[in-house]
Amino acid sequence: MTQAQSTDTLRQEIRHWLADNVPSGWREAMTNVEQEAFAQAQRDWFRKLVDAGYATPHWPEGWHGGGRSLAEQKVIFEEVARADAPRLIMFFVSLYHAACTLFECGTQEQQDKYLPGIIEGQVWCQGFSEPNAGSDLASLKTRAERKGDRYVINGQKVWSTMAQYADRCLLLVRTDKSGPPQAGQTYLLLDMKAKGITVRPIHQITGDDEFSEVFFDDVEVPVEDRVGEEGNGWAVAQATLASERGLTLVELGQRMRYSLPMITAAMREAGREDDASLRHELGKLSARVDATCALADRYLMRRISGEEQVGDASIVKLYFAETLREFTRLGKRVAGLSGQYDRGFMRGATQETGNWMVDFMNSYNWSIAGGSNEIQRNIIAERMLGMPREPKTWKLEG
Amino acid sequence: MSSEINELRDSARQVMDGSGLAAAENESWALLGELGWLMVSVPEEAGGLGMGLEAACALQIEMGRGLATAPYLSALMSIEAVSASGAASELLENLMAGADYVAASLADNAVQCSASGDGVTLSATLCAVPSADKASHILVSSDEVLALVPADSVTLTATATWDTTRRLFEVELEGVDVPASGVLARGADAEAIAAKLAVLRDFSLAADAAGGAAALLDVTVEYLQTRRQFGRPLALFQALKHRCADLKAQVVAAEALLLDNLGRLGGGNDALLAQAARELACTVYTGVGEESLQLHGGIGMTSEHVCHLFLKRAMLDEHLGAPVDSYPQALAAALLEASA
Ligand SMILES: Cc1cc2nc3c(=O)[nH]c(=O)nc-3n(C[C@H](O)[C@H](O)[C@H](O)COP(=O)(O)OP(=O)(O)OC[C@H]3O[C@@H](n4cnc5c(N)ncnc54)[C@H](O)[C@@H]3O)c2cc1C
Repeated sequence: MTQAQSTDTLRQEIRHWLADNVPSGWREAMTNVEQEAFAQAQRDWFRKLVDAGYATPHWPEGWHGGGRSLAEQKVIFEEVARADAPRLIMFFVSLYHAACTLFECGTQEQQDKYLPGIIEGQVWCQGFSEPNAGSDLASLKTRAERKGDRYVINGQKVWSTMAQYADRCLLLVRTDKSGPPQAGQTYLLLDMKAKGITVRPIHQITGDDEFSEVFFDDVEVPVEDRVGEEGNGWAVAQATLASERGLTLVELGQRMRYSLPMITAAMREAGREDDASLRHELGKLSARVDATCALADRYLMRRISGEEQVGDASIVKLYFAETLREFTRLGKRVAGLSGQYDRGFMRGATQETGNWMVDFMNSYNWSIAGGSNEIQRNIIAERMLGMPREPKTWKLEG
Repeated sequence: MSSEINELRDSARQVMDGSGLAAAENESWALLGELGWLMVSVPEEAGGLGMGLEAACALQIEMGRGLATAPYLSALMSIEAVSASGAASELLENLMAGADYVAASLADNAVQCSASGDGVTLSATLCAVPSADKASHILVSSDEVLALVPADSVTLTATATWDTTRRLFEVELEGVDVPASGVLARGADAEAIAAKLAVLRDFSLAADAAGGAAALLDVTVEYLQTRRQFGRPLALFQALKHRCADLKAQVVAAEALLLDNLGRLGGGNDALLAQAARELACTVYTGVGEESLQLHGGIGMTSEHVCHLFLKRAMLDEHLGAPVDSYPQALAAALLEASA
């Protein structure tokens, strides 16, 4: 079989499977429900996808569902978007960030210890950001002190998605303050049930509470749960951040394209389908949405062929975030006053629920998290266009 | 893009670099014939290179970068019309070699056509016909008729635009009798060819815009790197860096959509693919044009600087093809229809 044939076969397979298995009416079922109902629905959907072998295509050969090429992984993401299946939000960190970090940087013992648990449905969260270390992640301060065969952790993390449900945490801590900020960091696998951890969900502007603050008070982590060497945490964290390799944006681009009819539906509902100015905006948006998909697609192709260049990923993310903002803004405009009525929100969906104010607010996830738009612009300007970097030091004048 | 087309594009870049920005029209026209660029998308059976519209667009991206003056798009449209209608192969050969030039309008025009004997009588005012004074014939295309009209039977008026890299004419046909030999197609055949020509035109405008926008952004970033104020290069100011980064993302996105949509041709929605590519690329080009002028400061307002050449070409590109606002309207109409 050629590669194209094998991805076509996979496409047909998963398309059928999704048609039979996507929980019907999941959007309604996830609207205005308590978080526990959402968590349970996530667990059920996770189980189905894992059992069918579609949740772990990026894992190496030999692991359940693993050994799929990047081209095949892309097919799976595309079809999931096409079928409007729920996203596995609660398990994204475990399946991608945790697993890829373990495969790339973990020891055999660590892999054997943690990967089976991930397949069984353990939830992981990512504890990188801190109150004073956001875009400037390298300046993080949460301390880990070595005491015999343990590290003792004190400090605070913030914005940790799904931490309130997590069994484990990918934790980036400081073990040495003396060198430059990137040095002296260490990467740990933390048991969220350990003594001394307090998790406080953060109430978001949408009413949801997807992320939490996490406080550490003399929390102990065994040394064998360190990934990489002490002081080498920054490099390991880069592996974590690179783990989904552009697939998410392929999926999200497609989801946005498939959601354009929500805007036309809203136009009809408002009796404004013939409004030339809305049509103008819609036409412009649709070209941008198509371009987002084309960008994400071509980016992944370049990754597959090994031609990726510095900054490519930043362009895709920035363009997606801006287009998504426009998408939700137009929906909000079409909905008019009725779009301002608070009808609650849907859990676990992306930014295309048709509840336009919520969608609009959620679009900020993509312009802030994972390297904000401004940080992406810095990368594009400095590393692609070759414009000079900011001076490193800064002094208050006078 | 296939490696063949990438190679073509690389060599086009070299040629364009060699002849400099907005090289003289006569010289660049001769080059087009010599290099075989006029025959890239003509099928092999008809004596062309059979590389498709993708190849023609690859070349036009580079010509957009170099502000090419030769009437390449107009020539391609006539060649496409002649080749699609299966007309005399000698004419096609001459056109592909650049020995003959038939000028085509880059705008949408109303054409009045009535039968007269075996032939037709045509009346029309064709706008935006590039280098019409160099043409042996004018191509007249509508949903009813496709015809070649001898240049000496029409009235040409030069319509100078702000864009000095191209010379446009208005062509007036007042009841011109065209014998059957000059009628390339009628009825549904003519309509189908007109649709193909619109696809070629819209994709080509997108390519010109994508190339021009990329080149102008390069010029602008380079300027910001060399110009110093407040004791440092302007390129150090984040306010300016971020504007350049946004433009870069838009330029890359416009090219991605152009190439992606070219790759999807033949699926029954060619017109929409072309319209989307053209809409985005022309919007991006004018955007880069506006920002670049601002980022250059006073020097950008001087006629010696190249900035304005790109800006004016971008502004003209936006108004070639169908009316500028009709593109988003067409895209929206298609979405509304699909979801009806
Ligand atoms: C929905 C969501 C989920 C998240 N999930 C997680 C998670 O699971 N785990 C985790 O560790 N973190 C998570 N984060 C945190 C995220 O990584 C940070 O919010 C992000 O890095 C930005 O940091 P900050 O919020 O401190 O903003 P700041 O860094 O304080 O930025 C504030 C503003 O200043 C701008 N800015 C900052 N630096 C520069 C600069 N050099 N040049 C120009 N402008 C600049 C920013 O772009 C922004 O507009 C999440 C965030 C969100 C919104």
